[in-house]
Amino acid sequence: MAKQTYELTYIINAVINDDQIRGLVNRVHKFIDENGGDILEVDEWGSRRLSFPINKKRNGHYVNLYFEAEGDLIVRLERALTLEDDILRYLTLKLDAKMLRAWEESKKEGKRRLEAERLEVERLEEERLKRARKAEEEVEDDEDDEDEDLED
Amino acid sequence: MADTRFDTDSVEYVDYKDVELLKRYLNEQGKILPRRITNVPAKFQRQLTRAVKRARHMALLPFVSDNIR
Repeated sequence: MAKQTYELTYIINAVINDDQIRGLVNRVHKFIDENGGDILEVDEWGSRRLSFPINKKRNGHYVNLYFEAEGDLIVRLERALTLEDDILRYLTLKLDAKMLRAWEESKKEGKRRLEAERLEVERLEEERLKRARKAEEEVEDDEDDEDEDLED
Repeated sequence: MADTRFDTDSVEYVDYKDVELLKRYLNEQGKILPRRITNVPAKFQRQLTRAVKRARHMALLPFVSDNIR
């Protein structure tokens, strides 16, 4: 079997404490790594409001990740996810050519936006420095005026 | 309706995670709108339906609601 790209999104019970959540996320990652998968990208959305209650709970901790693996890993992975009580839902998708292209596009979009934000921040920093410098100059001018008064 | 048309011609993959896009094609009860109302291409409608059902499974969209708008 060749390596395929998959997308997994799963919901963790939000009521448990953060250490347990982290532990669970790490365990999932370890499972994938140890069983022949390569994790490509992880996107944790954190706590979100559910559109309907699951097991009486209204919020869930969402994790979204992309990985490459052989096909036989998927069955074992999903079985492991099912056995975990604190994982409420999961959805595993195989990325076909169309989805792969769409994912590449969205990665580029993300990078472009980060670049744009970074440049914005730099520009604002420069503006602030310029204004600070100008303010200093004005203060110096005022000081010169003060001296004149004292001379009288 | 015509200005949202070009949108559907260029979208290659309807992502179930794109709740904003998906919500536009649901009514106030959360039901998927039929093509005769939205006038989308058939291919798009099929992808849309698949995406909405996946989103509902992952609790990103409700199955039924009376307050989604």
